Parts: sequence; C-alpha cells; structure tokens
Amino acid sequence: MLNVSERFSPLAPRERRAVLRRAFVDSLPVLMGYTSMGFVAGALLAAKAGLGHATLWGLLSSAMCVSGTFSFAMVQPVADRAPAWTFALLAAGLNFRYAFYGFTMLARWKDVPLLRKLFLVHMLSDENYALEAACRYARPSANLLYCMSLSAMNLSYWVAGVTAGAFAVTLLQGALDPDLIRARTNGLEFAMVALFLVIFTDQAKEIAKHGK
Amino acid sequence: MENEFLYMLAVVGAGWAVTYAMRALPFLLFAGRGRELPAWVTRFGSFISPVVIASLIVYSYSGLQWRTPWPYLAGALTVALHLWKGNPLVSISAGVALYMALVSCCGCASTHHDRELVYDAAHPLIHFTNKGMKFRDRYVTPEEAVRLLKKHKVPKDATIHMLVDEDFSSPRATWVFQHNYLGKAGYRKAIVVHARHASSSAPKRRDDRRNPPRR
Repeated sequence: MLNVSERFSPLAPRERRAVLRRAFVDSLPVLMGYTSMGFVAGALLAAKAGLGHATLWGLLSSAMCVSGTFSFAMVQPVADRAPAWTFALLAAGLNFRYAFYGFTMLARWKDVPLLRKLFLVHMLSDENYALEAACRYARPSANLLYCMSLSAMNLSYWVAGVTAGAFAVTLLQGALDPDLIRARTNGLEFAMVALFLVIFTDQAKEIAKHGK
Repeated sequence: MENEFLYMLAVVGAGWAVTYAMRALPFLLFAGRGRELPAWVTRFGSFISPVVIASLIVYSYSGLQWRTPWPYLAGALTVALHLWKGNPLVSISAGVALYMALVSCCGCASTHHDRELVYDAAHPLIHFTNKGMKFRDRYVTPEEAVRLLKKHKVPKDATIHMLVDEDFSSPRATWVFQHNYLGKAGYRKAIVVHARHASSSAPKRRDDRRNPPRR
C-alpha cells in the first residue's frame, strides 16, 4: 500500500502532457454542448429576468451552480422575483441526482488533498461525471490530473457560454428597443421546456429499459 | 441597484449551497469508506428525478402560450425527434424553431404592450420594491424603464409618479433613477409616492388594476 504522498506523486512531463491532451480531446464534445446551452441560458436570463447587471449574474450563477437545468429553471422565478427559498427547493429537486454520482467516486478520490477535492465535488455535473467515470487512467496521480484538468476546462466552457449569452443580449438591449427584442425573442423561452422534455424522455427510456 | 444585488446574491447563494450539498452528500456520509448503497435509496433516487422534471415541465408551460395548441405541437415534435434521433441539440433547436415560428405568425398578441397607458397618482408607472424596479407589472432595468416611457410617448412634461414600498431599504436608488435616468432623458418632473400615503388610492387589488377608474 502506497502512502498518500506517493500515490499522488507528480508525473513525468511527457506523461503529464499526454494526460492533458487526452482530457482536452475528451472535453471537446462538452465544449460544443456547454457553450451553446450556456449561451441560450445566459441570453434567456438577460432577456427575460429584468436584471440590471445580467452579465454579472450570468457569470456568478454559472460559476457557482454548474448545473444546466438549474440555470434554465431559475429564469422564470427570478423574473417573478420569487423568494430565495424557492431556489433552494428548486435546486434540491433538480440536483438530487448528483448525490448518487459521488458514491462511485468515494474510493477513487479517497486521499485527494482537500482543496482539490472540494473543486472536484463542485464540478460533479452530468457531462463531467460521465467522462470522469469512464476515465481509463488507473494510476491515482494520472487519474487526478485528468479529473482536475477536465473539470477546469468544462467549468471554463460553461462560464464562458453563459456570460457571453448574457453579455450579447445586454449589448443588444443597449442598442435596440427592449420591446423589439422581447418581440423578436418571443418563443425562445420554449428552449427551457424543450430541455426538460428531452431529459424526461431520456429518463423514461432508462426506466423502460431497466424497469422490466 | 443594491436591493436587486442582495436579492440575486441570495438566489445564487441558495442555488449554490443546495447544489453543493447534494454533490458532497456521499463524501460526508461515508467519509473514506467505499460502501454499497441500500437498494431503497437508489430506487428512491431514480424515482424522484423524473417526478421533479415532470412537475417542472408543467410549471414552465404556464409561462408559454398554453391556451393555444402551439406549445403542445412543439413539445410533441421535440419528444418525437428525441425518441427517433436521440440528439438533444437537434430536438431542442427543432422544437424552439417550430414554437417561435408558430407564435410569431399565429400566436395570440402578447398582453401587456397594447393596452393604453394610464399614469396618475393612483396608477404610478414606476414602482420601487426590495426585489428590483417595476414598470407597471413587470420587473425592468432602469434603461428599459426609460425606453418604455419613450415608447409609450409619455410627454416630457408629464409628472412621473414613483411608488416606493413602505419597507423599501434603499432611498438612494430612487434618487439615482430620477437624476441619472429620468433627468438625462428629459423627464424633469418626478414625484416619489410613499406606499403608506398612497394606500388609499393606489391599486392594490387585481380588479383595480384591470379596471382603472375613468378620468
């Protein structure tokens, strides 16, 4: 049995580069998904929520809550200025599934240093978890480097997407009549419903497969 | 605006705290031990998520034009495409495109743009609350409020009544709005109306807002 410092001993530079390259290539599909979905989420927040600093809130909320469904679901209650406990309930209901992701990572992340562990837990989103769970590196230090770099890249894609979406709509609002934007983006709010429908269809498929 | 700032800080904080707690739960429960979950927990977990998503679908339909058939048509297209192709991006964008097309060509007219604007002491256009600024019944940014005034052709010499809630905690915000936004746009006459003074005449009940008294 190796002790902690040996388990996470640094990799050779060449190996390190290989792991980072692998993580980047694996993150490319997430890049497509996160930036496009994040852009729509940020645009919705800026267009529908009536906030003074939509870009700031897009940046902050995407960095704090790396959860696509929550980012979409929070728009309508924010526009209605629902009380804060509504959002706690919403997050609890939507993100309950994340509690199950951690269980499979317990053994693997057992001795990871605290700060890095906190970050890994923060980034335990659907796409990130799927890639981390499928990671082939058996050596703990390579595995940890893979998970950390993947998490950092995916976080940056998500934050960049949401912020860019919110910023783009804010710029447009400065240049155009807000009622005109409201009229042009009329119907865009269906993106949120469509996302929920897609998730629900996936879950129904899953249940139909395993239920019998 | 600092009230909106505090409100959004609470929103983001609540979302973050709960999301993080959910993700950290197994690490807190079984610190260090790799243990199998009881079967009922996994079953409960796989059951709760679809229920939440289904209720969210119902809730978010209330924000669409749910009295027309269009959101249901677009929803059917989304689900059908997803069952067929299984590509979320394709099904979502097709559903959104169909819904936007249907709503823009044959949707019902959106309700709050076309009504005649009533503005007097009993019907203040601007309303300051601790959760942000309202223009009539909608939360807006200060820029939006000024643009809406111009759009509705409110004359520059009209008196703009700014209703302030009794518990409003940032009187400076009304001053900033009056000078930096209304004043710069040419609206020189603005009056702050306090809710406790206006309570006898301000519209409180829904019916009053729908049927404003004739002038």
